[in-house]
Amino acid sequence: MFDQNIEGAELFALPFGDIVPFFSVYTATLAAFVVVFILISAFDRPERQLNIVFGGDAYYAKEIKESDTRFSRFMAIACGCATLGAVVTGDVFNFTLFAVLVGITNIAIVASAGNRHVLNAAFQYGIVAMIATVPLFGSAAIILATTGTLSIWTLAGMGAVPLLAKALLILGVMGEGIAPLYIGKAEIIRAQGAPFVLMIHFSSLLLFLRVTEIVLVI
Amino acid sequence: MIIRKLSGILSNFTNLSRVYGVLVIIVILAGMVSIPSLDYHGDRLYPKFIDRDSPLDPYDRGGIPFGTTTVAAEYPENSPYLGYITAYLTPLSFALAGATQHMGTTIVAHPGGIIDEILYATRGLDTVVETTILFVGFAVAAYLFRRRENE
Repeated sequence: MFDQNIEGAELFALPFGDIVPFFSVYTATLAAFVVVFILISAFDRPERQLNIVFGGDAYYAKEIKESDTRFSRFMAIACGCATLGAVVTGDVFNFTLFAVLVGITNIAIVASAGNRHVLNAAFQYGIVAMIATVPLFGSAAIILATTGTLSIWTLAGMGAVPLLAKALLILGVMGEGIAPLYIGKAEIIRAQGAPFVLMIHFSSLLLFLRVTEIVLVI
Repeated sequence: MIIRKLSGILSNFTNLSRVYGVLVIIVILAGMVSIPSLDYHGDRLYPKFIDRDSPLDPYDRGGIPFGTTTVAAEYPENSPYLGYITAYLTPLSFALAGATQHMGTTIVAHPGGIIDEILYATRGLDTVVETTILFVGFAVAAYLFRRRENE
C-alpha cells in the first residue's frame, strides 16, 4: 500500500483484529490537523457575533453564555474524534461508520443553534445525511461482495473495486460532509458559536481528503 | 439560461435534499447497468453456513465454546484466540435456545445473548462506532427535547 504515491512512508500500524488503523505520511498529517482542531474546540472561547444597527453607526455584540455552548463544544470535540477515526482507519466499512458519526455530530452542532432559519437548514442537512447512508453503506457492501475484503491494506493497488462502489463512496461522503452543497452551509454558518461551527467545515474537508486517498489507493 | 436556472434551484436550501436525492438516483441507475458485470466473492471472508433449523439462526457459526472453532478472518495473526468464544452462550441464552427455535432473533433483546466473535472481537471497532452513533443520536434527541422543555 505504501508504494502508492499519495500515501508516503508507513509510520505506524495498530493491529486491532481485522481493522488495522495506520499512519502514513498523508494520514498522519491529516490526523495532526484534527488533533489541533480538537484542542482548539476544547479550550477556545466562543466568538461573539457582532450585529450592526441599520441607519446608524452603532453595533453590539451578542452575549453568549458558557452554558449555551456546552453542548456544541461537546459535539465539536466528538466530531473531531470521529474525524480522527475516519482519517486513520484502515478499513472501508469502518471509514463509512466514522463518516456517518461525523454527519450526525455535525447535525448536532447545527441543531444547538436556536435560530429558526439555521434549524431549517439543519433539518434539510439531516435529511441529506440520512439519505447519504444508503450510498455509503451500499459502497461498502459492494466492495465486500466483489472483492471479499474490506481492508484497505489488502485492496490497495489491486484495482478490483468496481467504479460503482467508488462513485457511491464519494457520493455518500458528499452527503455526510455536504462539502459541495455549500448552500446548506451558508445558512448553517449564521449559527452563533464559532469555532464549533467551523468544525463542520473542517471535518467535511478532511473526510474529502481521506476519501480521495481511499478511492485513489483501492 | 440553463446555468441561471440551475443556480436558482441550488440557491434555495430547501431544495438541498431533492438535489442530493436526484444525484443518488442518477448514480444508482447508472450503477445498475454495471451490476451484471460484478463477480460475487462471498466465500473469502467471514463465510457462514445458514442452518434454518438451528435455534441460533442466522447467527449460528457452529463449533464448541472455548474450543478451536475455525473462523476465517482477514488477519488471523491479530486475533490469537480466534474461534475461542464463538459458540459461547450465557446461561439465560442457553435456556432460551433450548426452549425456543427463535433465539437468533433476540440477539439484541437481552444482555449477553449470542457472542458473535466476528462482530464483537474481530471487527470490534465497528461495533464500538455503531453504538457511538446510536448514543450520539440519543444525546441530540435528548438535548433538543429538554431545550424545548426549558423554553
